Amino acid sequence: MVFLTPIFLLGLLAALIPIAIHLIRREKPPKVMFSTIRFLKKTSKKLVLFQQLQQIALLLLRAAVIVLLVIAFARPLFNQSVARLVDADPQSAVILLDVSMSMRYGDTFERAREEALDIIGRMGGGDEVALVTFSDSAQLVRELDTDIASVRALINEVDAPGYGSTRFYPNLRLADQLLETAQFDNRAVYLISDFQDTGMQDADESWKLAPGIALTTIDVGEVESVNLALTDVRSPEQLLEDAAEQQILARVRSTGTVYRDAGEVSLSINGQMVDRVQVDLGERSEEVVTFSSLFEAEGTYTGEVRVSGDGYSDDNAFYFTVDVLPKIRVLVVNGEASENWFDDEGHWFGLAVGGTDASPFDLQSVESSQLSAAALRQSDVAVLLNVGDLTNGQADAITTYVEQGGSLLIAPGDRVEPEVFNRQFAEITPASLQRPTGRIDDYLVIADYDRRHPVLRPLVGDWTARFEGHWPMQARDDAAVLMQFDNTEPALVERDYGQGKVMLFASTLDLEWNNLALQGLYLPFVHETLRHLVQTDVRQRAYAVGDTINLDTQGSAASVSARNPSGSDIRLVDNAVFTATTPGFVTATIDGNEARYAVNFLPEESNLARVAPATLYDAVINPDTSPIQSREVQTAQMIEELERPQRMWWYILVAVMLLILAEAVIANRTYR
Amino acid sequence: MSESLNFLDPSVLSGLSNLELRARTVVEGFLSGLHKSPNRGFSVEFNDYRHYQRGDDMRHVDWKLYARSDKFYIKQYEDETNVRVVILLDVSASMDYTSGSVSKLNYGITLASALAYFIMRQRDAVGLITFDDEVQEYIPAKCRQPHLMRILRTLAHVESGNKTNAVKPLSDLAASLHKKSMVILISDLLDDEERVINTLQNLRGMGNDVIAFHLMDEAELKFPFNEASEFVDMENQETYITSPAAIREAYLENLNEYLSFCKKKCQRSGVDYCLLNTSEPLDEALSAYMTKRARSF
Repeated sequence: MVFLTPIFLLGLLAALIPIAIHLIRREKPPKVMFSTIRFLKKTSKKLVLFQQLQQIALLLLRAAVIVLLVIAFARPLFNQSVARLVDADPQSAVILLDVSMSMRYGDTFERAREEALDIIGRMGGGDEVALVTFSDSAQLVRELDTDIASVRALINEVDAPGYGSTRFYPNLRLADQLLETAQFDNRAVYLISDFQDTGMQDADESWKLAPGIALTTIDVGEVESVNLALTDVRSPEQLLEDAAEQQILARVRSTGTVYRDAGEVSLSINGQMVDRVQVDLGERSEEVVTFSSLFEAEGTYTGEVRVSGDGYSDDNAFYFTVDVLPKIRVLVVNGEASENWFDDEGHWFGLAVGGTDASPFDLQSVESSQLSAAALRQSDVAVLLNVGDLTNGQADAITTYVEQGGSLLIAPGDRVEPEVFNRQFAEITPASLQRPTGRIDDYLVIADYDRRHPVLRPLVGDWTARFEGHWPMQARDDAAVLMQFDNTEPALVERDYGQGKVMLFASTLDLEWNNLALQGLYLPFVHETLRHLVQTDVRQRAYAVGDTINLDTQGSAASVSARNPSGSDIRLVDNAVFTATTPGFVTATIDGNEARYAVNFLPEESNLARVAPATLYDAVINPDTSPIQSREVQTAQMIEELERPQRMWWYILVAVMLLILAEAVIANRTYR
Repeated sequence: MSESLNFLDPSVLSGLSNLELRARTVVEGFLSGLHKSPNRGFSVEFNDYRHYQRGDDMRHVDWKLYARSDKFYIKQYEDETNVRVVILLDVSASMDYTSGSVSKLNYGITLASALAYFIMRQRDAVGLITFDDEVQEYIPAKCRQPHLMRILRTLAHVESGNKTNAVKPLSDLAASLHKKSMVILISDLLDDEERVINTLQNLRGMGNDVIAFHLMDEAELKFPFNEASEFVDMENQETYITSPAAIREAYLENLNEYLSFCKKKCQRSGVDYCLLNTSEPLDEALSAYMTKRARSF
């Protein structure tokens, strides 16, 4: 039911007038001295009771008359009757229902559902409506359909919001596209959301809704929100065993519209709480909490940082994993071993790799004659330092070793014969060695390198080493040149072979041909190169909600299964791929080996700052769209048209109301 | 006649402070309207002679003295008191009620005074008893002129008392009456009317003539109230809140039933019953007395 002039409903207060008169005049009746009351007392009790009931009935009648008069003033109409009139212009509408993570705050989503049902309730029989639930992606629940009842049922069945982020523009575009196929010219989009400010990301100021499409924004967000969020957690992803104490940093931020300055942050490792810290933000917007923890034994650790002290728990936990790996076994084949350190080819390399007890490397140095297939099998990476006297059998062993997954670093020097090298390592070498064609009077320097390569990415700086000797190399087509000298010749080349990897450095790793070993970059270069060669299959363990996770990147696993944080099985696409939907730890079993993956919410969804719906409206509404296209305005216009020619009623009803009020006053004065 | 009636108007009489004057005004005014009444003249005992004057009744000429002296002498007689009248005036609290200028008590005092004056004028003996739940004043019946003044003085100082209980004074009176008398009760009868009338019946049975003047105020008879009020009983201070408009009909029905009972009960008991509205003149009361007096003697 609707009212043509609802302002008159304020007149319901007038119903209090008879009651007030009744109550006021009820107090202290005048005393009358009378000779005797025996004839009064003999009057029937029923008569007195009837008289009291009569008074109450009269009072209620008067109040009811006033209430009915007021309602008459307000001009009630059944909604359906107005709707039928408006239905002469049926509507095509798209309901956009926000199901992003921020809608999980309090009962926001239930309010959104009620609003959607309310919109459906106002739809007429000839309208068509589509339902889209959205966050950072959209789900078309129902295309434009005139079966309003089924859309209502679908709204009731919409799942609770997930953990996606909010994006308005892509979904408004989708609604716009849906309405391109609309049956009717009267088109509208109903956007039901908490209007999180982050939803305005990816805004395209040049894009507008198509002309004629009305936009109705329905804000269901909390005006006041209290939230402490973990916007970032930094933890080591991979460590080598016996590593030093590690620091875990957590960034806590008050992101609600109401500032919260205190809370508690805790760290749990493998489900056991190891530390707890009180956070006092004071006047700052955020605080970084530092935890320390040891990860000594080999294996995968699961960690959880949790903040408490607010009213929104969905963004209070951050999950991470730490893989602790065994030390890297490095087999160094020294082609020019010497008791004099300055003549020893492996001296500087040995200092860089095994100079301290805390080294992540387990170094074994052998001469070329001692190199065997067994020694190779017991190492993760083999390094050939100026080795030029390998037998063909040893070379074959190295080739087999690489093919089966071993890694090889070669630094040839003056003992290497290029023809022999190219022959013995023809299958695995990333480049062939060339004899120098002319005399080199000047030294070379590193002129360029691949700054995106895992080895060289952290080594940004001045490569000032001077190379007075090097092997010219002809890189294979399937090899990657990672470094170049200033004469454009390759300095470092990499190639995958079989399951292994081979890197070829064009010079020595001692001071014989260059002074690289004296440079500050020498040690990190050696370390990063060895790590890279060993950890070629570093799995990504940290993901965000909405990310696609491939559990078998190489496609070689025979059996893959996964369980989500709640323990239920995950349905995999192509036997290995799925999309993360819930924060927590995903447990995968790949060929019998268990692995844990951390999935976290998107920090931006923790920011509950809101954007004014009018801002979005102004940004996307087409200037050519007449605002009267919306159903509400149409209804209001229809009501106005119905009501205007009948205002004579007002004056008649005013007169009746005054007469009745006068009657109430007079009647009380006369009969009481 | 109309002039005399004006003098009998209670509101006019209430303006006269002297009770004797008030009583005389009532009686003279009443008698002037009754100058052709056949009930006039009833002396009995010889007292003196005087010369005949034109207009004197020839029946009162002493013919024996005329035979001896050849002069007409009229025999003058000393009135003989052959009636003893006792007036009982109710002075209870309810008698103090008034809705206009004259209360029932004031009206009763005036009535009692007029009756006393009238009775004394006829050379009858008159006595007075005022009572509420007890006898307040008792003046035995006598016929001397100073006795009237005593009665009037007593009436002038009457004040309203407590609850009505007419049974006891009437019973006491019945015990003290040895000669045939006339008993006049002036009351609003807001008591146990059945017992009161039974007592009056007893007095009647003893050979006495009994007149009951039942005084009621105009408001008591018509109950003209409109506004919801808390009514306070003047005798026992009991209260009752009601809306008069709603119960007026029932009140009047109850009242008429009561008045009808009083009237019928008195008639059956041989008691003359006269309902008096205090807003109406007193001549009706005096007429009632005269009628009764003439019929009895």
